[in-house]
Amino acid sequence: MTNLWRRHRWWLTPTLLIMPAAILFAVVILASSVESLWISLHEWDGFGPMRWIGFDNYRELFNDPQFYVSLKNNVIWLVMFMLAPPLGLAIALLVNQKIRGMRFLKSLFFIPLVLASVAVGVVFSWVYTPQFGLLAIIFRFFGATAPAVLSDEHFVTFAVVTAALWPQTAFCMVLYLAGLNNLSEDLIGAGRVDGAKGWNMLRHIVLPQLTQVTFIAIAVTVVGALRSFDIISVMTSGGPFGSSSVLAYQMFEQSIFSYRFGYGAAIASILFVIMAVFIVWYLTRIIRAEERGA
Amino acid sequence: MTNHQPSPAGPETEIAKQDAMTSLELRQIQKSYGAYHALRGIDLDVEQGEFIVMVGPSGCGKSTLLKTIAGLETISSGQILINGRDVSHTEPGERGIAMVFQSYALYPHMTVAENMGFGLRMAHRPKDEIDAAVMRAAKILRITDQLDKRPKQLSGGQRQRVAIGRAITRSPDVFLFDEPLSNLDAALRTQMRVELSSLHAKLGATMVYVTHDQVEAMTMASRIVVLNHGSIEQVGSPLELYRNPANLFVAGFLGAPRMNFFEVIVDSVSGRRATVSTAGLVPLAVELTDGASVQKGDRLTMGVRPENVNLASNPAAATFSGQVRLVEHLGRETILYVDAGSLQCVSSESGTGNVTVQIGHVTGVSNDTTIGLGIAPRDVYLFSSGDGRTISARKSILAD
Amino acid sequence: MYPRPIPESAVWQRRLYVALVIGILIIWLGPLFAVILTSFRSMQDVMGGNLWGWPTQFGLIENYTAVFTQTPMAQYFLNSLIITIPSVIGVLILSTLAGYVLSRYRFPGNMLVFALFVGGNFLPHQIMMIPVRDLMVRLNLYDTTMALIIFHVAFQTGFATLFMRNFIAALPDELFQAARAEGATPFQTLVHVVIPLVRPALAALAILLFTFIWNDYFWAVVLTISDSVKPVTAGLANLRGEWVSAWNLISAGTIVVAVPPVIMFFLMQKHFIAGLTMGAVKG
Repeated sequence: MTNLWRRHRWWLTPTLLIMPAAILFAVVILASSVESLWISLHEWDGFGPMRWIGFDNYRELFNDPQFYVSLKNNVIWLVMFMLAPPLGLAIALLVNQKIRGMRFLKSLFFIPLVLASVAVGVVFSWVYTPQFGLLAIIFRFFGATAPAVLSDEHFVTFAVVTAALWPQTAFCMVLYLAGLNNLSEDLIGAGRVDGAKGWNMLRHIVLPQLTQVTFIAIAVTVVGALRSFDIISVMTSGGPFGSSSVLAYQMFEQSIFSYRFGYGAAIASILFVIMAVFIVWYLTRIIRAEERGA
Repeated sequence: MTNHQPSPAGPETEIAKQDAMTSLELRQIQKSYGAYHALRGIDLDVEQGEFIVMVGPSGCGKSTLLKTIAGLETISSGQILINGRDVSHTEPGERGIAMVFQSYALYPHMTVAENMGFGLRMAHRPKDEIDAAVMRAAKILRITDQLDKRPKQLSGGQRQRVAIGRAITRSPDVFLFDEPLSNLDAALRTQMRVELSSLHAKLGATMVYVTHDQVEAMTMASRIVVLNHGSIEQVGSPLELYRNPANLFVAGFLGAPRMNFFEVIVDSVSGRRATVSTAGLVPLAVELTDGASVQKGDRLTMGVRPENVNLASNPAAATFSGQVRLVEHLGRETILYVDAGSLQCVSSESGTGNVTVQIGHVTGVSNDTTIGLGIAPRDVYLFSSGDGRTISARKSILAD
Repeated sequence: MYPRPIPESAVWQRRLYVALVIGILIIWLGPLFAVILTSFRSMQDVMGGNLWGWPTQFGLIENYTAVFTQTPMAQYFLNSLIITIPSVIGVLILSTLAGYVLSRYRFPGNMLVFALFVGGNFLPHQIMMIPVRDLMVRLNLYDTTMALIIFHVAFQTGFATLFMRNFIAALPDELFQAARAEGATPFQTLVHVVIPLVRPALAALAILLFTFIWNDYFWAVVLTISDSVKPVTAGLANLRGEWVSAWNLISAGTIVVAVPPVIMFFLMQKHFIAGLTMGAVKG
């Protein structure tokens, strides 16, 4: 036994070590994701037997006006979220000074990042509250009346995305601050000697060195935008009349509230396909970088 | 988990050591990564107590060979025997080797003593045995006062000592060194070189040492192994290799400044003597080694070490002449780079085709002066231009 | 450094700069200040519409006492700890083991396993929602803290393995060769060499995981329904439905949810930032 173990230890040890993580991840995460694709081809209320209906869920989905509202909102999220990296960079540039007390001020800027998105949702619900909220106060200061943004179907998604941008911008700021602290002093020095200043310096010397950070910032922002669920759930529950719903929320609503698990799975599958395009792009970049490094 | 005893504590290895004087034996070691052959059939016998230095240009396979001996790299085929025991497929920790790495590879979170005793601790040796072994090694290397420090608190030379001490603690059959001095500054490197040599004398252990520094090879080795493209070019004592290089590669690799090489043509052959010449050079009649067959009209490579090119006392004694391009005063000696016109060096030291001349004294020669230089036929090496094999070596010192 | 540092001699410039930063910070954190201030107000002021004027009465203690005594918030808070702490420990263990193997052993499929860990981590949660919920129902774990622990450990292991793998891969190769040459088994190497050296990474990872898991809301509402197992995030959403316009209490509840990650962040700020940016900066 001991001998057998010793002879095979070189491959048995790594296999045993990776197994718990691999099995758990494979069963709970990967297999579940695949199973959803399967469920999407069925009609199922979550309790009884599943009934095979082929692509009927998808056919229904493509004729469902709510699906297009959700999809449009996902696009709005994605586009508006792209403000997070440049805003984050701007704040990072603003606070990147070594002065006594700046470290503390900087860390206060990070706070939205660690807040639960539920908390962010509540905070902004309060900001948007008609008459009493911060937004109403500001509008009143200028002699205007703030619209009830969360119950107006034209404003609601923009209002929710604005709330979500708050932590996302903080995230990008953290990434860029780290990137700025890793710039090559020699290159900056060389740039200064060559007379680069301000915008030129940023454009030609600083940003090229931040390419990797920008890549990560955009990646986490895309994922963040497509993942949006918590804030919508807390602030609007997709309302009014589904006008602020996104695919993730619509899926949840259909499954949990309407017991249409097959239909919900179909929505999740569409979301998955959108995300998969992005994941593949991201992974090929990461793996190419890995292989170059190896 | 089993309790492996690092040799030579084990009784079998003790006996093996007495029987066979061969401490390390490599038989037809092959290592390939896909289509790339890193090692192509290495054969080598190392006697107990030898100090073997492996040299070669980067990528020649010397580090790979060392790692296969250590067991850190697997071999594609062949056999490795340590004290007569086949260890070709044994785990590194059970081969009876210890290794000193280029970066020292000290564990940063452990003290010096913990670093040195790590191997024994992993083998579950009793604590007092570990302490005793660490103390013995620390005494040999005079680092007893450093034992409680962490690697970060030590200088480069001290870290180097700890790395060596870690190897000594395991009392291995074979010590392996992977370019251990290359991270030290020049002064410290010289000092450690001397220390390593005396350590070798003191321990009498078998050591295999990889370096790209030929000074280390020449000064420390009992035998040098010259590697190139994954094969052994030549094995021998430092002076043997210097005087009788087996081929053009070894001749060019050992010796600084590098040997001068010229393309020459055989004018005539009479008996064991061939007359060679090239444009700008007075024909030289050179004695061939036994078994070398040369014909009139053959193209050969001629080699002359820089120290064997002399300033001609008068124009008649000169075999060629040229213009001095650069003078390097090294104090006791002087190096001249001479542009000999049509007599161009191939792959010369300076890369310009100039002839390198090493003079054992200070000279007043200055840039751009034209000088006459002499090469004695007995100082000349000839190499066949096909395989680079030596067909005439410099005649032995006895002839001097 | 970029932007160019403001020289130490330019005292006024520096003061002006700090003032500017503080001004922007106040706007930046404005929404949060509004909530904090509201959590200090008394019920009378809130009901009477005095939300921004000088409070007639402070309700700081009353509000927070009410949150913990009149609502199940204390229970939610405890549940969150019961879910978060074991999950973090579980992920740390699994990801260290997996990261060690993926970074130190070349085997066919290594890259594939790595890609699955990374890619799975980016999946939208909804794609696994129905089967995971179903799995927990079948395991009789639905509506237990264990269901959330299992899910969080499984999901976060993806990200954490990527994290640990990169960190262990950055350790010098020769350390591992040295350990091998000295006869350490792979497991001994893990315990005596790897773990002591990756302690900073483990700290960074722990704080990140704590934040991620504590802040989770989606899985809390998918996998739990009872107050006895619900974490604070789902609890807060519940309270909002019950209290509608008692903004002083909702605000106090929000602060209670927000405080633990914020405290963790300030206690281990260096590790948190290092963890978050490791991938980005390593390049």
